[in-house]
Amino acid sequence: MIGDPLFDAESIAGRVSAIGAAISADYAGKTPLMIGLLAAAATFLADLVRAVTIPCHIDFIAVNNYGDGEGILFEKDVAIPVQGRHVILVDDTVDTGLTLQYVVKRLLERCPASLEVCTLLDRPHRRIADIEIKYRAFEVPDVFVVGYGLDYLGRYRELPALYAHGTWPA
Amino acid sequence: MAITRVAFAHASEAELARLFDFYRITWHYEPHSFPIAWNERGRPVEFFTPDFYLPEYDLYIEVTVAKPVRNTRKNRKLRLLRSHHPRVNVKLFTRRDVERVFSRLKRAS
Repeated sequence: MIGDPLFDAESIAGRVSAIGAAISADYAGKTPLMIGLLAAAATFLADLVRAVTIPCHIDFIAVNNYGDGEGILFEKDVAIPVQGRHVILVDDTVDTGLTLQYVVKRLLERCPASLEVCTLLDRPHRRIADIEIKYRAFEVPDVFVVGYGLDYLGRYRELPALYAHGTWPA
Repeated sequence: MAITRVAFAHASEAELARLFDFYRITWHYEPHSFPIAWNERGRPVEFFTPDFYLPEYDLYIEVTVAKPVRNTRKNRKLRLLRSHHPRVNVKLFTRRDVERVFSRLKRAS
């Protein structure tokens, strides 16, 4: 179901390094709080945090799955207070932007000093919420991507590269 | 708008409405019709009514369930809409787009 990588491990490492350098420059003298969206962004965040050359804190948020309960909510919230912090929200893929926008809104209610978005993949084809993305590793076409933390029904997260899966989950 | 009060033309529209509800996004179903063709006396003779309006994004969404090769008529209407109403922000969602949005949401097992 998967063939040659869309982006191999070397390309990913290059982009992670470049984004890490950009964050290090943009936040020089600060200690940003990098918040990853579980579970798919965990791999990206783990590499990214090692590519920045400034001190930073990390934490994670998880939102509930579609169909669970009445609507979207935080299934897991951050443990570190956001107020007054320079927050970098790290996502795996921005598609419609609706999940990300919900998270951004909830975090902005807590009065961070600043909040920027960083994503591994930007797939703008179906964008509804016009989210400003400050750091993006790759823009991808309308394909289902697996590997490097991204799964297909729980599989392929462990792959070191990003691949287009032949099908979308039914 | 409450889903139960709306008679959607197609199941894909109802699915999208449920998605908007999940994200707590205000939506309106077919709230506006835009003239896209006029007769020689300047009276509108053809209209386009996008399926959804999302006021938070000032965005209209048109859902099409036809196969891409049969979308010619709808694409023509969209072209006219964009031509005559350039400030109207409209996005076309195919059945595949709707399916893929839900595919992504289900990816986390």
